Amino acid sequence: MTTAALRRLPGLRLSPLATLASVVVLAAAMPLLYVVWNSLQLSGAQWAGLWTTRLPALLWNTLSLAVLVAIGSVLLGVSSAWLIARREFAGRRLAVWLMVLPLTVPTYVFAHIYTTLLEEDGWLGRLWIALTGSDRYLPDLFNVWGAGLILTLAGFSYVFLLAHAALGVSTRSLEEAARIQGASRAEVFWRINLPLLRPAIAAALAVVILHVLSDFGAVSMLQYQTFTLSIYLQMSGRFDYQAAAGLSLVLVLLSLTFLLLERFFRSRQRYYSTRQPRRQPRRRATALEAGLIWAWLGLITLLAFGLPLAWMLSWSWVAWQERLIDAEFWGYAYNSLLVAALAASVALVAALPVALYHARRHNLLGDALLQLSSVGFVLPGPVIALGILSLFLAQLPLLYGGLAALVIALVIRFLPLAVQSQDAAMAQLTPSLEQASRSLGAGPLETLWRVTLPMIRGGLATAWVLVFIDALKELPATLILRPTGFDTLPVRIWIEASEEMLEQAAPAALMLVIGTLPVLWILLRGERRGA
Amino acid sequence: MVPLMKTRQILSTLLPTTLLLGGLLFSAIPAIADETLVIYSGRSDKFVKPVMKAFTEQTGIAVTLHSGKSTALLNKLKLEGAATSADLYLSNDAGNLQKGSDLGLFRPVDATLAAPIDANYRAGDNSWIGLSARARVLVVNTEGEWADKLDSVFDLADPALKSQLAITNSSNGSFIAGVTVYMLAAGKEKTRQWLQGMKANVDGRVFNKHSKIVKAVAQGRKQVGLVNHYYIYRHLARHPDAPIRIVLPDQGPDGIGVAWNVAGIAISKHSKKSAQAEKLVAFLVSRAGQKMFAEMNMEYPTRGGVPAAKQVPPAGSYKVADVPMAELGRQRDATLDLIEAVGMP
Repeated sequence: MTTAALRRLPGLRLSPLATLASVVVLAAAMPLLYVVWNSLQLSGAQWAGLWTTRLPALLWNTLSLAVLVAIGSVLLGVSSAWLIARREFAGRRLAVWLMVLPLTVPTYVFAHIYTTLLEEDGWLGRLWIALTGSDRYLPDLFNVWGAGLILTLAGFSYVFLLAHAALGVSTRSLEEAARIQGASRAEVFWRINLPLLRPAIAAALAVVILHVLSDFGAVSMLQYQTFTLSIYLQMSGRFDYQAAAGLSLVLVLLSLTFLLLERFFRSRQRYYSTRQPRRQPRRRATALEAGLIWAWLGLITLLAFGLPLAWMLSWSWVAWQERLIDAEFWGYAYNSLLVAALAASVALVAALPVALYHARRHNLLGDALLQLSSVGFVLPGPVIALGILSLFLAQLPLLYGGLAALVIALVIRFLPLAVQSQDAAMAQLTPSLEQASRSLGAGPLETLWRVTLPMIRGGLATAWVLVFIDALKELPATLILRPTGFDTLPVRIWIEASEEMLEQAAPAALMLVIGTLPVLWILLRGERRGA
Repeated sequence: MVPLMKTRQILSTLLPTTLLLGGLLFSAIPAIADETLVIYSGRSDKFVKPVMKAFTEQTGIAVTLHSGKSTALLNKLKLEGAATSADLYLSNDAGNLQKGSDLGLFRPVDATLAAPIDANYRAGDNSWIGLSARARVLVVNTEGEWADKLDSVFDLADPALKSQLAITNSSNGSFIAGVTVYMLAAGKEKTRQWLQGMKANVDGRVFNKHSKIVKAVAQGRKQVGLVNHYYIYRHLARHPDAPIRIVLPDQGPDGIGVAWNVAGIAISKHSKKSAQAEKLVAFLVSRAGQKMFAEMNMEYPTRGGVPAAKQVPPAGSYKVADVPMAELGRQRDATLDLIEAVGMP
């Protein structure tokens, strides 16, 4: 066989898989190249102009928001994860669900709902006026605190998920050793549990912060100028693609810094258990404790899911009565599901060679490809969309106007989610199984199909689900790249919300939640099995 | 041989899956029939859809609305160039329309078609046609201390109005267009000082919607707001007893007059259906079309002799700022620079 002969050549030994992985990553890096190319057109004077007029405020706005959201997410995510992973109480399984459900609500829906609730005649506004007697100090969300609150509620679940998984693994022997040495309970938490949690928290924070940096929906509804919003306004308001590219480049550098910091935290902290990881035993909570636990979890749930859901239900009911839920609405729902499912499936397939190559060949190229595949997370959605738009128009005009451009942009945006999940799953898989398969005469493809893929199906499911959830909620790239007259639920929410058609935005938001529930179930089932 | 067979089997399962996925990806292009007109629309769906329905009933020509923000859609039109599927561009802001015109994105319509519309409300070369106009006015609370004290937009910079003033955030298209008119009519320096005064008065708290401004004034939380006229009537339609009143500003002999802005339509340069597109424009400038398009939102028809909704002050009964609508596009960047230099929230 020619391929077999080729594979024996030293220079091309890694060829098929490495080539495939490189092609995927190169395609994913297209928008980044577009940004770099465009920002190279900026003159020194223009850079200086950007630096003096826009950058300081944008840096301050963006970073202060990121810090606020990081603090808020750790506070909510770690506390809830700790309580749920370490205490046994009635309704514990339900609590896991409740902490993850906020993932089904997009940030712009959160922003829209909370600004509406906090108006003088909104539920919270009236409550506030009833309690304080006036509307004088009615909280206003159009600032860093408001944006911070919204993005915390929308994102803390990522911290919860990872912290919960990390806390599920037993550290009892370490804790007991510390206690024997005379450490207090608080000391055990600060010196044993927290350092052990650090990699998980760092990884989760990286996800949360990258979501903050790339968020478009919430900050544009709250008119809070971050890099991403400013880039969008620069492009669509002023047609200034070069300044937008320049700002994007700064944003990319900022995001990369976060990613490197996260790597640094993770690599410095490696703790291995010498034995098989055991499940952490949970201490039964007393009645009082259970009450307090539920009070805290209930408060989080109320804010992060209960109130938004109640709002969606009540306005959806109005829409239902006014017969606004018609065939068009179901068309939007179908479009959304179609696009999200396509994006998730394509991302799953595209991520496979990258993850496979990284997990099986521990070399520089593998690391580099894995890192480069995360560009989707560091570039704002509008920029990816614009890069794809230009590329398609210039190179593939025949495919422009269909779903291909949109799906590809979504895949690029969310490829990192798929790659990371698959890579993590493969890292746990011992290569000896594959070697056994090969020695029994199976070819590489058959080994992949019959051994590797079935063994990592949990990771594959997670990858699909994560991409699906984010793709279903995606707004900026969809706004720019959707085919003519092709509206998805997020696009409709965006249009109706900006026209203050509450009763029309609510069913669409509710539909997004409902559409995400089944896949969330897959995600949580996988986690339970893993724990 | 066995592994090879297996590989084949695997391929035979993988291949259809891949083909299916690929097929879906590239074939799921929504079918837009050849005779359907595509409009990139930056105007509220609910105002446009009924008008288009009437057009379709009258002519049999179907219309697909691709809605979004005016600026983003213009951007899309520009980037797409000849590959665009848009036949027409509809915007609520003359600034965007003129910008598109200057970028060469539109094809001028026939002069006889454009003639019924006042020349001030369309492009010099008829590359866009204004369809309805809105007035930038003050809304005041009739029970407050400022009920009768304000007669100019420039009064809004009065330090005595601190925390009594309601304006939208400065990225709002109507706000920007208004500032452009004041800048051209009253000069850059005066406008800069005015913006600075308003910035001090609102103290960082601006509104994201005009409707919320009217509500805040009606409830007495603010005494005065700067809005488009129809928001006042929209509120009054739902709350007829609300203590609010319209003030048409800057009417005196030295006053610059009320700032107007128009919503309008343009035919894409790359439209392959310009005959049908012109039919739509003809429908929209007809008396019936004008009345319908403007009345949806209680705006002023741009065609002379077609009256506006009866609630609103009749056109011609007050002074309008003498700024050609085309300038709203040409001076847009200068306005944005001014707003940014002041640092309006």
